[in-house]
Amino acid sequence: MQQTFPISDEELEALAKNSIDSVFSTMLDRSAVVKEVIKVDETSHSEGMQLPMDANTPMIAGTVGFLGNLTGIIYIFMELPLAMEATCKLLDMEESDIGAEDHELVNDAIGELTNMIVGTFKNDLSNKGYECRMTIPSILRGSNFSIEPAEVALRRIFKFDCDGRSFVIDVLMKEEN
Amino acid sequence: MRLKILTVDDSKTVRIIVKKSFKGFDCEITEAQNGVEGLAMAAKVNPDIILLDITMPVMDGVEMLTKLKSDPTLKSIPVIMLTAEAGRENVMKIAKIGVRDYIVKPFKEDVLVDKVSRVVDLRPAGEAAPVQKKIDDPIDILVVDDKPAIISQITEGFSHTPWNVKGVSSTGEAIDFCQKKLPDCIIISLSLAEDAAITLFRIIRSNAKTKYVPLFGLSVKTAVEEQARAQQAGFSTIIHKPIDFEELEAKIGKAVNLDASGKYFQMGEGYMTVKLPKSCNAAVVNEISTYLKVKTSEAVNAGIAKIIFDAQNVASLNMDVIKLLLHSMKTCRDLSLRYALTGNDVVIEESKKFEESKDWKFCDSLETAKASI
Repeated sequence: MQQTFPISDEELEALAKNSIDSVFSTMLDRSAVVKEVIKVDETSHSEGMQLPMDANTPMIAGTVGFLGNLTGIIYIFMELPLAMEATCKLLDMEESDIGAEDHELVNDAIGELTNMIVGTFKNDLSNKGYECRMTIPSILRGSNFSIEPAEVALRRIFKFDCDGRSFVIDVLMKEEN
Repeated sequence: MRLKILTVDDSKTVRIIVKKSFKGFDCEITEAQNGVEGLAMAAKVNPDIILLDITMPVMDGVEMLTKLKSDPTLKSIPVIMLTAEAGRENVMKIAKIGVRDYIVKPFKEDVLVDKVSRVVDLRPAGEAAPVQKKIDDPIDILVVDDKPAIISQITEGFSHTPWNVKGVSSTGEAIDFCQKKLPDCIIISLSLAEDAAITLFRIIRSNAKTKYVPLFGLSVKTAVEEQARAQQAGFSTIIHKPIDFEELEAKIGKAVNLDASGKYFQMGEGYMTVKLPKSCNAAVVNEISTYLKVKTSEAVNAGIAKIIFDAQNVASLNMDVIKLLLHSMKTCRDLSLRYALTGNDVVIEESKKFEESKDWKFCDSLETAKASI
């Protein structure tokens, strides 16, 4: 059962864009643009849905939750080549220095990027009067991710493009009484 | 002594970024992955500053900070929080426990360096044990002036030296230059529009890399007001236009701590020659006096036992020079060194007018002086 949510779609898109802009420009010297916004609800996707990305491309998913007046979780699904490029830029390394098999370092870098993105998102919520605290980031790897419906007041999926590479932010939130 | 920085963060990425940020500075970075490791590492290495994350497993940053501040041996270590969480509640909580500053992720590396440099004395790598440059070594002088004629004049004025003069016309160009190459000295025109000289002074002084670079203000002597503003802002040296290059060279040499002894002292063939310059004012005499003891010791250690005081270029003899020579000759006698004086006609004539020097015997050339001792 969906509740009325106090943050509008426009505000939520602005929050998502700002958090990406802030982290990408500061840490990666890059920018990203919103290509698609998907409104997910239990009725429209009762059977689950594919991520709006190439199902065969290997991906890495970073996730951080937040708890407080607003409780939620944000997933960032990133194509692996973009994740590798971001890691190289963050750590000032070449791909050959990291190595395709060094999952730990790439996982850590994407975890930290997710932490920063969700942190910026959460800080903006804080400025709107919603105090919450963050959880520690976790990481998943895989391909052909499918999104299941969840019982939350609000869920939006934002697909971004960064120099021809895609990533997706999946935001799930509910207001705590 | 190397500055010790402890970075406490569960993210290896952040710890690598911290290390990368301070690569150009004289510091030693130690790492910890959580509050428990952080406290142990703080006790072990006694860092000069701690960069602390908030959200960590095992023990978070707030708990570590609380424990640190309640430990009498660790509580004085300054802490900067480096965190993705900037909620008002969090800020208030950690401010009460006592942090020196607060950096919200995402952050630029230079912001991190800047904040740390405001709390501890952060010096560029290699500065801890500097190799003193000599007066005839190349140094880089940045001139910030919107008048190309002044830049040309300064370039020309130092053309007899190996010093490299780079002229720029704006604050932005000056900052860009400093980011690429750290100059040894910066000369800023105080008449730049919109108080740009003062703004640039503050930017340079607040940046960890450039904060120790000597800054000279350049002004027309009569522009009293702009000079007063510059002095109030913190400019310690102001050079007047038209520029006296002899004076400017000496001031830069002193500010950059150049070893100027090579201008006056030469050694070879069993002799040390103390060559007095044409203009032997009080500042020059003082500079020579500063080096005299060290250079005489160097000569003795090198097996040199003969010294020539060469006053052939001196334009006019004065009491400062006479006192210098009296003192030098006494040092030679105390150390059983043999010495001789050379001088031109003016010097010889003027020496007769002073009681202290009326009996001095001058040779008319270095060869004669060498032959006489």
